[in-house]
Amino acid sequence: MTCDLNLSEDQRQILDAAAAMLSQGHPVSRLRDSQDDTVTAIAEFGGFNLALPEDQGGTGFTLVEEALLHVLLGRHVVSVRALAAPIAARVAAGQGAADLASAFADGTETVCAAIPAAEGTLLIASEGCRYALLFGDRHLSILDLADTHTTVVEGLGHGSVTTRRLALGAGKTVAASNGGPLLEIADLLVSAQLLGIAEATLDLAVDYAQVRRQFGKPIGAFQAIKHQAADMAIQAEMLSTQLDMAAIAARDGRADAAFQIAALRRLAPRVALFNARTCIQIHGGIGFSAEADAHHYLKQAHVLSRLGAAAPLLDLAAALAPYQPA
Amino acid sequence: MQLEFSEDDERFRQAARDWLAANAPTDTPPYDGQPARDYALSWLAKCHAGGWSGIGWPREYGGQSLAPSKLILWYEEYVRARAPSVLDCTFVSVNHAGPTLIALGTDEQKTFHLPRILEGKSVWCQGFSEPGAGSDLASLSTTGRVEGDEIVVNGQKIWTSFADIADYQELLIRTDPEQKRHRGLSWVICDMESPGITVRPIRNMAGVTHFAEVFYDDVRIPLSNVVGGLHDGWRTAMTTLGFERKTAAMGVQLALSIRIEDLIARAEPTPGSAMAERLADLRAEGAALRAMTYRTIFREPANPSEGSLMRLYFAELAQRIAQASMDVLGPEALTDTALTHDYLEAYSETIAGGTAEIQRNIIAERILGLPRE
Ligand SMILES: Cc1cc2nc3c(=O)[nH]c(=O)nc-3n(C[C@H](O)[C@H](O)[C@H](O)COP(=O)(O)OP(=O)(O)OC[C@H]3O[C@@H](n4cnc5c(N)ncnc54)[C@H](O)[C@@H]3O)c2cc1C
Repeated sequence: MTCDLNLSEDQRQILDAAAAMLSQGHPVSRLRDSQDDTVTAIAEFGGFNLALPEDQGGTGFTLVEEALLHVLLGRHVVSVRALAAPIAARVAAGQGAADLASAFADGTETVCAAIPAAEGTLLIASEGCRYALLFGDRHLSILDLADTHTTVVEGLGHGSVTTRRLALGAGKTVAASNGGPLLEIADLLVSAQLLGIAEATLDLAVDYAQVRRQFGKPIGAFQAIKHQAADMAIQAEMLSTQLDMAAIAARDGRADAAFQIAALRRLAPRVALFNARTCIQIHGGIGFSAEADAHHYLKQAHVLSRLGAAAPLLDLAAALAPYQPA
Repeated sequence: MQLEFSEDDERFRQAARDWLAANAPTDTPPYDGQPARDYALSWLAKCHAGGWSGIGWPREYGGQSLAPSKLILWYEEYVRARAPSVLDCTFVSVNHAGPTLIALGTDEQKTFHLPRILEGKSVWCQGFSEPGAGSDLASLSTTGRVEGDEIVVNGQKIWTSFADIADYQELLIRTDPEQKRHRGLSWVICDMESPGITVRPIRNMAGVTHFAEVFYDDVRIPLSNVVGGLHDGWRTAMTTLGFERKTAAMGVQLALSIRIEDLIARAEPTPGSAMAERLADLRAEGAALRAMTYRTIFREPANPSEGSLMRLYFAELAQRIAQASMDVLGPEALTDTALTHDYLEAYSETIAGGTAEIQRNIIAERILGLPRE
């Protein structure tokens, strides 16, 4: 029994391996040419069943490592399919659909993300997907898209994000999960990816501030730039500490898990969007162009922010609640 | 990554809780002057008698040598019991002067001062800032001329918290006029009763006489009061920065969580209202601040300046909470004394101990590696 927030050697190794896999197969620059939805390499890496017990085909890691893996996925703006798969696998398993669960987990069946909307459900990265994981209002469900009709919608950035619309009520619900730990896991992983966005945009902005020169010096020498970068660093650090706290609480089934995750999920979109915005500003004109990478992070942050929502934080007991001295 | 307190830790937590419930005063402490001194010293003396003083100090100097897990539990219980803010007039002695003496003091200095500090018998203040040297501390110009076995001090300090009620001062002066900036400074123990010292208290914007100007007119300080080597005062001043961050800062940071909870309880916001959303944001931020506090304690810092991230996050969160409390009060903000006091005091958070701008410079240059000024 100890308190130690350093990464263990095992954790460092798996994360280093994941980072190497992603730098090789998923550099963010790939998005300049195509909308890349493939997540096969991540499935092969074991990314979708990382936290499953070993006797169920998992690799024996826990929710903590899985959350940290999703930070890396966020950094690489990996398709939301990589987020939907491990969650859908759990939803299916919870409903006794074991075959479907393992197909999601090993990547043989792909699953996209679905967001409820008044005009009809939005499907993100659904090309060729039979299933969609619907992030409803405090519930998750798996939709079978077979025999459904969808239409392409040109949205955010003229279709920078592949979105299709599914008519309301279309698609058969094959498994659903209301509330509880699965929602917490979903909120944790979504937030982890948003943290990845916040970290990657900080790195990108700082790198650019070192190399871009104006008035005879790197723009990073100007306080106006420094201070924006410092604010990004604070936000990323704040979210990352809360992610560790929430992931540990969820893994260990601690009483404050729901509170920690609700706090995390509430903070994550704001932090990611703040850093993504600031990153664009620090880049100047090129930041506004579709030829640089900054805009991909911003758009992904908007998509991720729509995958579910934080549980009402004021309804939960605070982790450090005051007690009334007798 | 583990956060598991041991059974021993949990027993400690319970003992701390019980002791604080029975002993911590919960009335509002006097803000300034002799009453503030008497109150703080008697609370510290009570902690000492109960075996709860110097929790982070080494045992050989009368402390408790508590492990980090117990320190954090102590401060969590401390703030939950709403015990007096650790930022009172004993803060500098317990969290700064004492640890500095432990690290660099002579045996004589330690034997004389350390017990007095822990027993709640002396108040210290910190004389670093000057009218011409604030953010740019290294430009300080108060001089100390070495004459035989004495240093003769002339000049002026300002913003010295609790100088009017302090017994001793950590005084940073230029002892080698040939050297510039960080070099040639000395850190000396100054007895505030010394002839030649004039203290002019200054009221702050919250109406509290918290700090003061201090004038030195041929003040004679024994050379044996130098801590950490003559002309080597900058190093002495920097020695305990880490210690400060790891101990009392915890108490200050964790106290914000409680303040947020009290504000939510007081506001009783309608679910879904703008105020409910704002308070929920603050609650989430308070949770993150606590998580940051845990990280500083339980993780090796990736960078020695890492503390600035949390320091600034804390300061600005404290101000957001204070601003929200004004809006919760509504028109009664003009009549309330307790919350408006906290609100006005919060303006100092981004100034005292290194301004927000200086913290941002540190983060950008020392953590992110952007070019130095
Ligand atoms: C409540 C309180 C208690 C204090 N207690 C003590 C104490 O006990 N002992 C003690 O020694 N001091 C104490 N101080 C002083 C405190 O450390 C200084 O106020 C602080 O370091 C700032 O210095 P200054 O006030 O001279 O402001 P200045 O340094 O004059 O700053 C004025 C403005 O300029 C900005 N600025 C300055 N330099 C830069 C830069 N390089 N880049 C960008 N912006 C810059 C600052 O951020 C600030 O906004 C206390 C202050 C307060 C408010």
